[in-house]
Amino acid sequence: MFKLNLKIALRNLFKNKVYAAINIGGLAIGLTAFVLLLLFVNHESSYDKWSPELKNVYQVREYHDFFTPDNKAYWQQRSESRIATVLKEKIPQFKYVTKASEGWGDGYSVKIDRNNPVIVKDIVDADSLFFKVFPYEFIDGDELTAINAPNTIVLKQSVAIQLFGTDKVIGRQLKLVRWRSDEGNLMTVTGVVKDPSTAESLAFNAITHTGERDTDPDQISNSNYTGIYVRAEKFLDTNVLNKSLLNVYVDYKKALLKARGTTYNEFYKEKNRKAGLKILPISEVYSTPSFSENWLAKIKPIIALSIFLLIISVINFVNLATAQSVQRAKEVGVKKVLGAYKKQLVLQFLMEAAIQTLTALFITIILVELLLPAFSNHFNVQLSFWHSDQLLSIISQLFGLFILITLLAGFYPAMVLAKYNPVKVLKGNYESGFGGIALRNGLVVLQFIIAVTFIIGIGVMYKQNHYMASKDLGFDRDKLINISTNYETGDSFVESIKRIPSVKYVATTTQVMGNTFNTSRELTFNNQKFDVNAVTVTMDALPALGVKVVTGRIFAKEYAQDTINSVVLNQSAANLLGKNLVGKTFTSGPKNDVFQVVGVIKDYNNESFEKAVLPTIYKVTHLGGSSNTNNLLVRFDNDHYQSAIKTIEAEWKKVYPDFPMIYTSVEDAFLKELKPSLRLMQIVVLFSIISVVLSLLGLFALSTFMAKRRTKEIAIRKILGASDLQIINMLNKSFMILVVSANLISWPIAFILTKKWLEGFAYRIDMPFWPFAIATLTSVIIAVFTVSLQARKAAVNNPVDALKYE
Amino acid sequence: MIELKNIEKYYANKGVKSYILRHVTTSIKQGEFVSIMGPSGAGKSTLLNILGMLEEPTYGEYHFMGEDVTAMKERQRIELYRNHIGFVFQAYHLIDEMTVAENIEAPLLYKKIPGSERKSRIADVLDRFNMVAKKDLFPNQLSGGQQQLVGIARALVAQPSIILADEPTGNLQSTQAEQIMDLFKKLNQEEGITILQVTHSEKNAQYGNRILTIEDGVIKEDISVEKQM
Ligand SMILES: Nc1ncnc2c1ncn2[C@@H]1O[C@H](COP(=O)(O)OP(=O)(O)O)[C@@H](O)[C@H]1O
Ligand SMILES: [Mg+2]
Repeated sequence: MFKLNLKIALRNLFKNKVYAAINIGGLAIGLTAFVLLLLFVNHESSYDKWSPELKNVYQVREYHDFFTPDNKAYWQQRSESRIATVLKEKIPQFKYVTKASEGWGDGYSVKIDRNNPVIVKDIVDADSLFFKVFPYEFIDGDELTAINAPNTIVLKQSVAIQLFGTDKVIGRQLKLVRWRSDEGNLMTVTGVVKDPSTAESLAFNAITHTGERDTDPDQISNSNYTGIYVRAEKFLDTNVLNKSLLNVYVDYKKALLKARGTTYNEFYKEKNRKAGLKILPISEVYSTPSFSENWLAKIKPIIALSIFLLIISVINFVNLATAQSVQRAKEVGVKKVLGAYKKQLVLQFLMEAAIQTLTALFITIILVELLLPAFSNHFNVQLSFWHSDQLLSIISQLFGLFILITLLAGFYPAMVLAKYNPVKVLKGNYESGFGGIALRNGLVVLQFIIAVTFIIGIGVMYKQNHYMASKDLGFDRDKLINISTNYETGDSFVESIKRIPSVKYVATTTQVMGNTFNTSRELTFNNQKFDVNAVTVTMDALPALGVKVVTGRIFAKEYAQDTINSVVLNQSAANLLGKNLVGKTFTSGPKNDVFQVVGVIKDYNNESFEKAVLPTIYKVTHLGGSSNTNNLLVRFDNDHYQSAIKTIEAEWKKVYPDFPMIYTSVEDAFLKELKPSLRLMQIVVLFSIISVVLSLLGLFALSTFMAKRRTKEIAIRKILGASDLQIINMLNKSFMILVVSANLISWPIAFILTKKWLEGFAYRIDMPFWPFAIATLTSVIIAVFTVSLQARKAAVNNPVDALKYE
Repeated sequence: MIELKNIEKYYANKGVKSYILRHVTTSIKQGEFVSIMGPSGAGKSTLLNILGMLEEPTYGEYHFMGEDVTAMKERQRIELYRNHIGFVFQAYHLIDEMTVAENIEAPLLYKKIPGSERKSRIADVLDRFNMVAKKDLFPNQLSGGQQQLVGIARALVAQPSIILADEPTGNLQSTQAEQIMDLFKKLNQEEGITILQVTHSEKNAQYGNRILTIEDGVIKEDISVEKQM
């Protein structure tokens, strides 16, 4: 029986090749998007699962506002270094506590012998206990003592091979240079660890032990922030433990603040701050970023898109199979009077769905293999399918998907078929034995709702992206590069590049697109307290950026006062403080230093458009503290500055042979900020096109069946005198109602979704109307076109042919 | 074998009952060859469908081999299809995607007859109907008469005790029709299979031994055929 059913299934597929192709192809496309997503989700949820021992490893998180993007407090992955010592003493459940600080900037320069220096990212500096906490597998060296001595380094196997060409590198030396003028540390390789099979949240290429993590700052007023990780003896109830952790933390803070000449109450209670310390299982670290939403929230739109795509292709399948079931009605009727149970018939048709799903799944696997490189590239992850360590679980997921799709796609048509009343069917009365028209229409509507919503989405996203790309940023971003290095006044390198002909300005600021560092500062103006963002600049920074002056002036050499206590406000800060600010003064800092406002500039964007520009004060003076964040801005005065960059690079290499020069153009930094939403748009465009094509294929096939089913009616109408056009119109009308109602439903859905997306941007367009109009027009036109293609065929047929067969 | 008592069938339309069958009471014994005749729309097919349990009567009693059909569960009815009833249709109703041999095999699959026996039974019928050479053809490659032969072969292969045939020769030319009628007669006389056919043709009706005439849903005549041959 199974064999015979299989034969029938295959014969049916071959008989209706076009529909089979649409069905299987459509399903394969929907599945491909879904499987790619599945691979991505698998990858993202595989973090920190590479060793069973990791279940006893935790990350310490402190709640503070140091080094945050908006100067507000967050649960941060870097904690004050003294906490490690406190935890070691006070929490007996922690067997080992280690401090590990991720490298900053662009990475460290590694110089081996006389070779050219290379930049290596993610070099983590730890104390000697790192490998007691993290169970990395040593393939060379002694894991117990590897980083006991200072100036030792342990490399990942892959990195060792990349740097030395071999993983037999114990005893080899390399020089680690952390910035251009750093003399560098000569490190000895004491171990090589195996690269884990799955991703790590604390990703490193090398672990160094410089000794800097071994001690805390001598002066009580200084703090040092570092990652702290602990290894527990056995399983911990984090809820319970976090309570005692908080107690220990509050006690510690009280003592510390007292030593700093203030009190716990003054620091936290009066300022409405919250004190917090907790541990997080290492497996949750990746999915709990400090500032941004986690990966799952980030890819939510994409999850929704691929699920919708899968739904569309399943709907196609259901629709076509049900429409096609007319052709199988006789078979069902006959089999019933031959003594088939309903269950046997359902199983038969489910098997047919399974065959098609399986075929689709094979095509999917091929497509996934083909698309994976591009997909990995797009999402910046290394995904693999056949070579994945999770192959077994992927295969079981695919099997589950296969069962699910088979049931989703096959069950309804199978039920419809198996329910046929044999008398009606055998009398030749298919129509009445043929149900589910309402449902099929509903499904077509659903398909078009999704497709139209996608099209509207493209329109809105396109407009917003266009707006962002062409928005006036408030500064001039071309002919401007940012060299990644610190800049102290009087720096000889800087003085030398200032002499290069096309160089107009050389300056530094803590706030430039691509690398913005916000520090919060409290100021008192008119006896009122305000929190603003403070940016340290050099004299030339604001002219170099090309900011626009609203009132007053920006810094200039002619004013000696500028290096003493001048500040420039941006418009947001000015709005916060009041009117006519130029010449006014405010106080700030523990010593109540007095600052004078000399000018107000237009807000300029220095981060992505999701964030509003913060109220900011700019100052050249070091009065009240300053920051320095690896930005060296160079503004050129003509478009042919490439040769000037070459000259700068040559100059750099002469002075700093051990550290390569790294720079980006601010234009590139800007494009990088636009990338996430551009990326989302590209995906939405891709998905929209696929979903529209799928919906149209579905409509095409459905209208074919409709035309076929109404062949006799069409023939009779023609004999009665209907013109071809009238016939085409008649067939179109029934579909048009569906497409138009789908549009009406899509509008509010698309409106709500795109509005929500737009609200994620501080700088956004008003909701545009034309994407809605265009989506509707497009969907109607292509639907009419598709249906007419079929209707015309049916209409121009000779009516006699149709009637002869009856 | 079949007992009908007061069978009624009506369709209610807007409160008006339109009767298709009224007070149909009759019995059919094992081994009879009954022809049902009557004008178009008289209710012949409805009666045959009720006898074949494809439709339910609105009222009345129906016993098949001593069992009350109206009280039967779906499963039991399917068992009857598998073991006792064979259908032959005017439009043949072969499954287009199956070859001649596969069409004939289908009922045996539902009876769960083992493969070797299936093969020999199919070979037997094909041989008997002179269709061995055609066994791998699809229905659309056969003439109407040949298709109906396959339809009958399919009904016979499961060794039913009764064959229900609704205008089996309605689509056929007279020579082909004669061939089918001869076959029915042979099956009836040599194998004792009960046959119930609906026909419009006096001539075809003469092959059987009893004629039921239905008009407006009522049995008008019930006569037995004198054997002139
Ligand atoms: N579903 C139905 N609803 C209403 N009337 C029906 C239905 N099916 C059949 N009939 C009517 O029953 C009558 C008998 O039909 P049928 O048994 O097919 O006649 P015959 O086979 O004798 O030509 C016809 O008048 C037909 O219109
Ligand atoms: Mg009839």
